[in-house]
Amino acid sequence: MPERWSDYLTILMSALALGYLVYEIDRRRRKLHDVFDVLDADDARITARLEDMVASGALQPYAGARAN
Amino acid sequence: MPSPGSEKSSNGPRFRIFIIDSGGNSVAHKVLEENFELVRDLQKDDPIYVLSREQSIEFIRQHQDRIGREPLIAVHDLAAMSESGTTDFHGFRLHLGLMHTPQQALLALQNFARFLNTHRQSVDLEAEIRADLRREGLAGAIEVVLHHEAREIGG
Repeated sequence: MPERWSDYLTILMSALALGYLVYEIDRRRRKLHDVFDVLDADDARITARLEDMVASGALQPYAGARAN
Repeated sequence: MPSPGSEKSSNGPRFRIFIIDSGGNSVAHKVLEENFELVRDLQKDDPIYVLSREQSIEFIRQHQDRIGREPLIAVHDLAAMSESGTTDFHGFRLHLGLMHTPQQALLALQNFARFLNTHRQSVDLEAEIRADLRREGLAGAIEVVLHHEAREIGG
């Protein structure tokens, strides 16, 4: 057991620093996944809608000029 | 880079690429406009479908969780979709609209185009994407630690 109050303070500050690192790493991981991620079952409805637009002819492959 | 044993021969398009952009995020929209030909040139073998502004607005209206995130680039992996449809992994996407500066948007777009080009022949695309995300996450962790150290050293 620590004997001096400064030891407690060191332990507390170390725990806070570690907690901050874990928080910051997790925040960046979430941000990365927000920007770039795989398409899976959660995106099935959006994928189906886009594929339907291709199948119906509402969308044509880009052939040289932006549509907008 | 995929390992030599993880590639399969090119036989027609591997991806369908969709660009949904209502123009709401003017910074990312401008970067996409200015660099679209670069993306096109890198992906000549795969069709790109660009939704018109009206189609994009209608699309976003029906998928409101994407508001504030477009321009959105969705890449459908035709190989994965032919095996398991859309019930499992079937592609990947970039929310370019989350980038707030031209530099961030351009870097994200360039990395995305490079990623597409590099992994076009991949047999196990999902594993390679997840490995890349883990690597990026690890790089982020190292960056956090280094910045923390730098701040401490710098006082």
